[in-house]
Amino acid sequence: MVKMSTVSTKELIHAYVQLSGKLRENFNELRSQAKETLDNCPFPTKKDEEWRFTDLKSITSNKFESVDTSVAQANLELDEFHLPEAMNSRLVFIDGNFSPSHSAIEGMPDGVIVGNISDFAEHEQLLSHLGTITNYEDDVFVPLNDVNFQDGTFIYVPKETVIEQPIHILNVFTHRNNPHFVTPRVLFVGEMFSKATIIEEHIGLSDNVYLNVPVNEFRLYSGAHVHHARIQRDSKNASHISRPVAMLDAHAEYHSYTICLGSKLFRNEPRVIQNAEEVDFTVDGLVLIDGEQIADTHSIMDHRFSHGNSHQLHKVVVNDQAHSIFNGKIFVAKDAQKIDSFQENRNLLISDSGKVNTKPQLEIFADDVRCSHGATIGQLQDEEVFYLQSRGLTEQKSRELLVYAFALESVESMAVKSVEELLLKEVIAYTNRD
Amino acid sequence: MLEIRNLHAVVEGEELEILKGVNLSVNKGEIHAIMGPNGSGKSTLSKVVSGHPEYEVTEGTIMFEGEDITDMDADERAHLGLFLAFQYPVEVPGITNKTLLREAYNTIARANEREELDPLEFEDYLVSKLEIIEMKDEFLNRSINTGFSGGEKKKNEIFQMAVLNPRLSFLDETDSGLDIDALKVVSDGVNKIASPENAIVMITHYQRLLNYIKPDFVHVMMNGKIVKSGDISLAEELEANGYDQMQKELA
Repeated sequence: MVKMSTVSTKELIHAYVQLSGKLRENFNELRSQAKETLDNCPFPTKKDEEWRFTDLKSITSNKFESVDTSVAQANLELDEFHLPEAMNSRLVFIDGNFSPSHSAIEGMPDGVIVGNISDFAEHEQLLSHLGTITNYEDDVFVPLNDVNFQDGTFIYVPKETVIEQPIHILNVFTHRNNPHFVTPRVLFVGEMFSKATIIEEHIGLSDNVYLNVPVNEFRLYSGAHVHHARIQRDSKNASHISRPVAMLDAHAEYHSYTICLGSKLFRNEPRVIQNAEEVDFTVDGLVLIDGEQIADTHSIMDHRFSHGNSHQLHKVVVNDQAHSIFNGKIFVAKDAQKIDSFQENRNLLISDSGKVNTKPQLEIFADDVRCSHGATIGQLQDEEVFYLQSRGLTEQKSRELLVYAFALESVESMAVKSVEELLLKEVIAYTNRD
Repeated sequence: MLEIRNLHAVVEGEELEILKGVNLSVNKGEIHAIMGPNGSGKSTLSKVVSGHPEYEVTEGTIMFEGEDITDMDADERAHLGLFLAFQYPVEVPGITNKTLLREAYNTIARANEREELDPLEFEDYLVSKLEIIEMKDEFLNRSINTGFSGGEKKKNEIFQMAVLNPRLSFLDETDSGLDIDALKVVSDGVNKIASPENAIVMITHYQRLLNYIKPDFVHVMMNGKIVKSGDISLAEELEANGYDQMQKELA
């Protein structure tokens, strides 16, 4: 008999107990509401429908503490992670703490804000947006972030303003002996017809245990355009639970690409909300996992108004005993006509013991829409391998090349050249690891 | 160059024999044609010789350039200079012709202790081969066979053959599905590649191809065996009387 105990979030997050008496002093309303939710909401288990395939052992078997912020990391060498396109548009967070000495923000257009959330705590735009679109049901992770975050990214792009250079949000995790948890936060507000590209990266420098719980809020007003790449290269023993939400007004475009390479457990719940007519968005993903990694994507494309286009290509390569889970929901509200939504989940299993669960889920209440979805689970075709081998390539090289080709499509859509190159290297490293 | 003796083969894990004792000798500078009706085993022969893992040799040997290649992997056979032009070239989205060919060329060069070509040298080398099949540069940067027409796929096989410069090539029904213009381009290409230093075995159902590529020897394959060998007049006889007539004569 497996004994399923109800783990309280309090027990789990040791530091939260310490915090329970005294909340951080800014954003009081958000934090006290979140605390109330944490007090009442149990930690999820496999009994919950939304978590039934996802093994949370890598979280529940640890006690996580919050990070001691007094340890200075100013001398940490991070040059190798800098993007040449973003040398003057970079925010760096080390174990969740903003590092001004590693960051560089220069030459932004008038009125643009790119900075640390805690430096703008009284800013009208920040106060009026923070926490307004992250309404996950029966959820402990957003509240955990709400209660705990201190530093984070605040980006405000005024009307008709274009930020040419990509903004690089670099979250670095150093080696620490005790399991700790970190709650990165991003709030992006794009006013009418603004335009920006965001590269959000999570990099574990060691193989230690930590819990990374990022929450992203992207509010795009009419005609705003955003490209958002998320690259997860956490420690192979880390757990990463992500909540990125975007809300789009008329004619806004939001294109997101999530690349999952690291962490023992990855649970990503991207949501895009169509908040007015005529929007266009992408929720693509590439997952490359091996060993005993678990990568779980639960996404929602939420069409609440008419004339929306959405597109999701979620590609997965599973090696060894790794496990991929995909649950892609497309919602179309009753009067949201003329929606064109496309979802595809393609899985490539390259080991005998890997595992894939995939579930497209369409809930459509309008009658004049075009929504399609597809899911495939395949292995490399013998005929393809033979074809390459007959040209002189070894079997191993042929297989590597085919996996590389499978993954490539997702990488080529990156808006930033150096990110594309970085990912190509990662794909090659993944495919010739033996 | 190639010496096939009493070759028997089955589909891996099955009992039914598809090749039932094939004997064939091919020497440097020769062009052979193997003709036969559907299901005679002629395509299987080309796959078994090139090392397709789907087939298992149950008896007999394949000697190539003095080495027993019967149990070799396909890539090792390619390193020795064996090439198969596929009847149904495989589409490989995401890998360009150029990428495959450079990897293949350099792998074969390494295996033979020849010098590899760097990307620029290789580009020049590739472009110099394009004229053989009358293709444009952009052909190099397209994903292998992806979205190609039937004719383009066959041309691509001959292009790969030109680039890899094999000692012995099996052309498996390279003529099938080609219109007359494409057939001319493909045949011209093969004729340009053919030399006293290499050898070619064409596998075909129809005599049509032999109007463009003149074989030194013609073999007829039926029911898993080569049943008759001769010169071009054998192909003419087949064209005139058909396979049925020959089967009756042999019986």
